[in-house]
Amino acid sequence: MRLKIGALGVGVLTVALVASGCSKTTDDSDSSGGDKAVNVQAGAISYDAADNKAPAPAVDGGQKGGNLGVFLPDGFEHLDPARAYVNVAQMADQLLVRTLTGYREDGKGNLKVIGDLATDPGTDVNKDCKVWQFKLRPGIKYEDGTPVTSKDVAYGVARSFSPDLSEGPHYIQQWLTDKGADYNADYKGPYNGGAALPPGVTTPDDQTIVFTFAKPHCDMPYAATLTTTAPVPAAQDKKTDYDRRPFSSGPYKIKSYQLGNSLVLERNTNWDANTDPLRTALPDTFTFNFTLQADAVNERLIADAPADQSFLGWQDVQPAQLAKTTTPDVKARVLEGPTQYVWYYYINTQRIKDLNVRKALNYAIDKDAVLKAIGGTPAGTPATTLLSPTVAGYQKYDAFNAPATGDAAKVKELLGSTPPPALVLAYANTPPRAAQAEAARKSLEAAGFQVTTKSIDPTNYYTEVGRKDNPYDIYLGGWGSDWPDPGTVIPPLFDGRQITPTGNQNLSYFNEQSVNTEIDRIGTLPSASDRAAAWAALDKKIMTDFAPVVPAYYDGAYTLVGSKVGNAFDSSAFGWPGLINVYVKP
Amino acid sequence: MLRFVIRRLLLAVTTLFAISIITFVLFFAVPSSPATVMCGKNCNPTQIAQVEHRLGLDQPLIDQYGTFVKGIFAGRTIGEGDFARECPAPCLGYSFRTDEPVLDIIKRTLPVTVSIVIGSAILWLLIGVSLGMASALKKGTIFDRLAIGTSLVGASLQVYFFGLVLLLIFVYSTGWLTAPSYTPFTQNPGQWAYGLILPWITLGFLNSALYARLSRAQMLETLSEDFVRTARAKGLPKTKVYTRHALRAAITPIVTIAGLDIGAALGGTVITETIFGLQGLGKASVQAVEDLNLPIVLATVLLAATFIVAMNIIVDLLYAVIDPRVRLG
Repeated sequence: MRLKIGALGVGVLTVALVASGCSKTTDDSDSSGGDKAVNVQAGAISYDAADNKAPAPAVDGGQKGGNLGVFLPDGFEHLDPARAYVNVAQMADQLLVRTLTGYREDGKGNLKVIGDLATDPGTDVNKDCKVWQFKLRPGIKYEDGTPVTSKDVAYGVARSFSPDLSEGPHYIQQWLTDKGADYNADYKGPYNGGAALPPGVTTPDDQTIVFTFAKPHCDMPYAATLTTTAPVPAAQDKKTDYDRRPFSSGPYKIKSYQLGNSLVLERNTNWDANTDPLRTALPDTFTFNFTLQADAVNERLIADAPADQSFLGWQDVQPAQLAKTTTPDVKARVLEGPTQYVWYYYINTQRIKDLNVRKALNYAIDKDAVLKAIGGTPAGTPATTLLSPTVAGYQKYDAFNAPATGDAAKVKELLGSTPPPALVLAYANTPPRAAQAEAARKSLEAAGFQVTTKSIDPTNYYTEVGRKDNPYDIYLGGWGSDWPDPGTVIPPLFDGRQITPTGNQNLSYFNEQSVNTEIDRIGTLPSASDRAAAWAALDKKIMTDFAPVVPAYYDGAYTLVGSKVGNAFDSSAFGWPGLINVYVKP
Repeated sequence: MLRFVIRRLLLAVTTLFAISIITFVLFFAVPSSPATVMCGKNCNPTQIAQVEHRLGLDQPLIDQYGTFVKGIFAGRTIGEGDFARECPAPCLGYSFRTDEPVLDIIKRTLPVTVSIVIGSAILWLLIGVSLGMASALKKGTIFDRLAIGTSLVGASLQVYFFGLVLLLIFVYSTGWLTAPSYTPFTQNPGQWAYGLILPWITLGFLNSALYARLSRAQMLETLSEDFVRTARAKGLPKTKVYTRHALRAAITPIVTIAGLDIGAALGGTVITETIFGLQGLGKASVQAVEDLNLPIVLATVLLAATFIVAMNIIVDLLYAVIDPRVRLG
């Protein structure tokens, strides 16, 4: 999942600002977090009837009514369910549209995938993960009172194939066509004379939809949580303009939407709580304010003026403001915890072939200093694993037992008489990344490595390090799961068969036969909990036997809520506080 | 007079064309790919190629420029097949990031910047010029020293310091004012002024300092000129000498500077907008540069250039009105 793209803080003017914003972006992050409320979650797909029952469990102390506000610098890129990929858009869409499945979270770290539109997380018809059937709950209506049908879900999936609406996730499209990134080679959506139904999708009746894949995809209940499966009635499809006003199947509909300014949601009176197992939808209205900068958002939330008390911030507290959040009344309103992102120093295994050197690098890098460069503990916590604590099956381990501040003596012991090789350390040229690169360089040099740093234009960073023949040895990169399952982390990052000349995500260029085989084996395990355990074991094996990366830190979220916001907690699935079960305190 | 205006307008059009070409070329000269930014991290070469095609970035540079210019004068069709959209003239394209028509972005951000500039310009000209003139007439008195001392402080402060201090005092600490916000003038003039009062004071005070010093110096220089002495010697009353003779001569250079300052500010008061959280043209343009959002970059650069060119023409015309020594032709 991508995190919200925000200001990169480039340009002389922004840099000149006292607290210029450098929010989380695809290639840059100086977010915050902590090790206190680590939402380690078991992660489960639940077919239990009690879990899948509507209405949603009542919120303790929850109050109906009021206006809940969200400060979100710069607003949404896309709200169209086919195009929403950024976490904030996905969280806002949860209020506007329903999807086949969804996450039920209790705020204590327990997360369950259950049926949302569907009665359960999907039936694996032949027990081979190739044919998935979903039955819709009866009585679900759109904002105009017309019933939601499985044909509308199919239409939503169909339009997500269009190259003109391609900003969203591409899992289901790729699985249906089995053509990888070329998924729309033969089908480009229901437009320009294209078929109404995408390949592999059938709707036997108005309540049923069936997906047929060429290969097993046991993660379908997770993938169906994405807004790709939101119903879109063909008659309401306004193509690119649908972005401005998605037709509501959820508890709220759009009252007004001024780009760059505000979005106001009001109740969809045709939504029935008795059909919805996820949303309590307590506030009467939601107001999103896009006009404030990152620092202003948190300045306002720290001050907690009456008008702002029912607001929460989708914006991490900036390092310069951390000191103001330590007073007890503010501290009580801080939400912190790990996000689904983990940052690694990828070691280019094509250039650093010696396992001992890669192990030595794991001892050499001062993770603590790398974190301090972007704000310290609230920005994250030192990592030792490949998987984030937020994904299912996460097992804490430390393959090297190196202190977070590094261990130069151990490096020398490991390398013995071999001289440490000269290293090229590449980084995205933004102030936080440059500070981190400097910290990493210092620790590497203290351990005896010769380091040349190389700055790369931030917008081009992942393109550059994603070239197979890149001339760099070690570089920082972040990766977040698209759903809290290791299957969206380990295969994209460590499957050597996916290495291509450009556009790589396996940035260590790590290709190990035994690991590739194991990835295939785990993918076909029918039981979700067996898969989770096997992924965790593979995580440990990759680090212990091959050390293709230095896990640097688990990215942290550190946001504020106003004093009248109730039941706000960091979502394990989305990183920041979700909205479907918050309420306004009287 | 007419010939002068026509000549200046032709020059202005040429300038704007040159600026648009330079912006276009510079944008593509830097080694960065807008499609990669739009596409995000989990993106492969096939998808990037598709995004490039959709944004028209796969066309030769000269064609892209041609399409852009044609759009401004004749409108154009953007997208293909079912996704074709008519973009009527003046078409500035669609935002790469949000698909919003660039013209709409200008329409919602420009009034914010214009409101900030109008209010603060009135403040800085009123305070600055009158303070400067008064100090010149009362040169050497306590009033003069105080006024000039204050303006020295003002001239050395920066928006991002003074603005934040005002916010801290009036909004965050005391809560006397609500945080600045923009309400359209046509909707509620009172709310419009209330929401912009802090940016006005900030920009107004800081700029008035410069204008006070400039006006004082100009006035002093003019007062020492021969024609003023002659006027006084002829027995004209003091006030008449100051207002009818000295002021007109002293104000000419101030008009020049004010014209340029206002023109530049209309192109975007980035820091002020950022500090006070106002969604003006300046913020939109900086955001566009960060996102490599070419249509917005082009539109805002051209708009900023248009303001400066236009203000220059207006200043030249004003010269003829203010200063009898100037003849256009």
